[in-house]
Amino acid sequence: MTRRHRWLRHTAALALLLAVPACGKSLSSAGSAQGEVSPTAGLVATTPPGSKPVNSVVWAVYRDVNSLDPAFAFDYPENTAISLMCESLLRQQPDGSLTPGLATVAYPSPTKIVFTVRQGAAFWDGHPVTPADVVYSLQRQMSPAVGGFYGQAFSRVGSISATGGDQVTITLKQPDYWLPGELGSMGGVIIEKAFADKEGKNYGTPAGSIMCTGPYELKSWAPGEGVTAVVNKNYWDTAVHPKVAQITLKGVSDPTTLTSGMLTGAIQGTYYGGLSTLNQLRASKAVKVYQGPGWSTDAFIVSATSGALANVKVRQALSLALDRKSLISTVYEGAALMPRWLANPGTFGYGKPVFDAAYDASAVLNQNLAAARKLVKQAGVAGQTITIGTTSQIPSIAAETGAYQAAAQAIGLNVSLKTVSANDYINFFTSPQARKGVDGFITVNYGDYADPAALLATAVLPGGSQNYDNFNDPQITSLLEQARGTADLNARARLVATAEQLAVRQLPWIPNAQPTNVLVLNSGLTGAVGSFAFMFAPWADNLGGK
Amino acid sequence: MRFLVRRLAMLAGSLLVASFVIFGALYLAPGSALAALSGGRALPAASVAILNQRYHLNAPFLAQYWYWLENAVHGNLGISITLRENVSTLIGNRIWTTAGLVLYASLIICVGGIGLGVLAGLRPGWLDTSALVTTAVTAAIPSFVASIVLLLVFAVKLGWFPALATGGGGFATDVRTFTLPAVALALSSLAIVARVTRAAIRDEADKEHVQTAISRGIPARQVIQRHILRNAAIPITTVSAITVASLIAVSAVVETAFSMNGLGAYLVQAAQSKDLAVVQGISLVLVTAFVVVNLLADVLYAVLDPRVKLGTKAS
Repeated sequence: MTRRHRWLRHTAALALLLAVPACGKSLSSAGSAQGEVSPTAGLVATTPPGSKPVNSVVWAVYRDVNSLDPAFAFDYPENTAISLMCESLLRQQPDGSLTPGLATVAYPSPTKIVFTVRQGAAFWDGHPVTPADVVYSLQRQMSPAVGGFYGQAFSRVGSISATGGDQVTITLKQPDYWLPGELGSMGGVIIEKAFADKEGKNYGTPAGSIMCTGPYELKSWAPGEGVTAVVNKNYWDTAVHPKVAQITLKGVSDPTTLTSGMLTGAIQGTYYGGLSTLNQLRASKAVKVYQGPGWSTDAFIVSATSGALANVKVRQALSLALDRKSLISTVYEGAALMPRWLANPGTFGYGKPVFDAAYDASAVLNQNLAAARKLVKQAGVAGQTITIGTTSQIPSIAAETGAYQAAAQAIGLNVSLKTVSANDYINFFTSPQARKGVDGFITVNYGDYADPAALLATAVLPGGSQNYDNFNDPQITSLLEQARGTADLNARARLVATAEQLAVRQLPWIPNAQPTNVLVLNSGLTGAVGSFAFMFAPWADNLGGK
Repeated sequence: MRFLVRRLAMLAGSLLVASFVIFGALYLAPGSALAALSGGRALPAASVAILNQRYHLNAPFLAQYWYWLENAVHGNLGISITLRENVSTLIGNRIWTTAGLVLYASLIICVGGIGLGVLAGLRPGWLDTSALVTTAVTAAIPSFVASIVLLLVFAVKLGWFPALATGGGGFATDVRTFTLPAVALALSSLAIVARVTRAAIRDEADKEHVQTAISRGIPARQVIQRHILRNAAIPITTVSAITVASLIAVSAVVETAFSMNGLGAYLVQAAQSKDLAVVQGISLVLVTAFVVVNLLADVLYAVLDPRVKLGTKAS
């Protein structure tokens, strides 16, 4: 249930210098092929498994890893590192489906979840995973004293206890079929109790170490140099045989450096969204760029509680006036889909036929200025001013703000900007003071698991963590509440799909683009997970040489 | 001895003032460590309270500064909020990268810049003219542009040097990895040093006593060594010291461009996440380095020119 927003990464101006001469892209053509086709057709969730052993791979993340403690993993670098080495109770597969991970799951009643630890599941040091480890790991996530980020995900949990030699039972205050998704992401990562107790406050910091169960184990971590993982020779799942002996995750914050690193082979792989040099990389024979299903949504968060944007007709008009195709081509270099819902279709991790059918039946959010102007006229708001919170220091946000300015002006609205520094942009999300007088701002946002409801709930439920405009639609609320308590996957998908269809009419947020998951690999390598699932589950099991 | 004591007292004073100013600036700067800590998500109130208490985020400004100062005096620079690791360890990991980079660049500046300046100063003609033109251009190239061009040409297109430092390897590998960044860092300073050197040499060469020495038939070699170089050495030392000291600050740009694990890049990163203890720690190292470089220059003055007395001109 917890959600993180992320403002697009700090694309340094340097990148533009390198990229400009290289790409002669036209604004109108790129990206137009996307969106008209069915949800995630043509995207690769998995790349072909590698066959040859590889000694060592340098993998780039957009900045240095700050923590290896799953309780404090909130952004790409931490997730990439932890998911490489650690495993959760349940596992999100590359296609988004939730399968047994370290444990199998059963629901004896709507308020009871029973986890049975898999046979042979063991930590790197050979100690078996016990129910005590599971209880400890989950309670640690919930503990306010630890101060982790996933506490809210456990809001419906009454108690967690070991109920057998290999069993853990979670008793719920209310049915909660969203919890298993959380337990298939960072919130459900299992660490060794004895080890974590011994490490105390140092667990997951450069001063301490970690103890997990994954196919790769931590070898060393020197801040600035990178996190180095080597194959765990005693991996409990004997069906998995990693081919890369050593993977070093290195923080590379400058897209220019990343690009030259990839082109020269100094870096062999990366998951990197919103990369301004994507076309340059695509053109090179040294690397291959894959696009997989994404879980994240690029949207305009409406935070207006009064004024023009508080009117649903104006929100619809603004959405109709937005030129998403050129936005996708300029900001994403084509690596995003045209939206139909708030959710990225990559998040259809269950009830796929239900979601696909409902999604296909929904309209693509194409530009239609005539219809938009008509709505503005009906609403009688022409000449009014909306205020957009923005920062000129993050190029992607500046570009998208510009697109919204153009859209608003095209339908006769005035735009005033509240510009802050890149560092302060986060305050729009955290501080009501900073949002004061701001009608909306840009975000890239994702849920912790493949479920359209994961993100939607934060934006539309009363009291939702990102419901900044006090949005309250009883029908949507009721649909989502029902979905949370519905065991049957298809039935749940129907509820969520209906909620999405309603939400895209009400537009508590205005979706801008559905980014695909961008994987850049050295052409000698293959096998990395292609979808956004890399954030939550081991992604290098099949990585190897061609 | 008195000179040294005085300079040490000055160093301590500079550090104190610098630390206070930096602390204050960061305190006043927008953003909060809590936002960086939580990644912008809404934390439960209990967690916020714990974090505030753990990092003294709610204490008044002077109390926070005093708390930091007290620990710093005892050799404890505090712990990084984002990494939860001792600041001194974090600095120790990175200091050699920056030191190596700055030393390498200084070497390039001193050898290349002074060499070129002397040559151009003593040999008017096509060499001098081309040196003037080249240095005029390179002096105007900021190091981030130099970084991009060098990366593109020598790493991506020609493949002579690695595009980024991946660590490991011996001294030879280090030199190879550090070459492009050091050149990028040195380029514009080299031009400035070369131009100042050239001007100083010209100046001295035109002086009456030099002309007299030449007219009296003293060998050119001796004139250059005794009368021109020696006297020109003072302005050259000054400009070299200033540019070398400024490299310490500029290194951040180059380190970021080449993804090097140095103090400068880390300083920028830490300032962005409001990691106060790290910013303070690194700033102190940089201020110390700056003061030490200037101290060395002062000592060098006295060696070069006996008329300069340590302690009198030093202030």
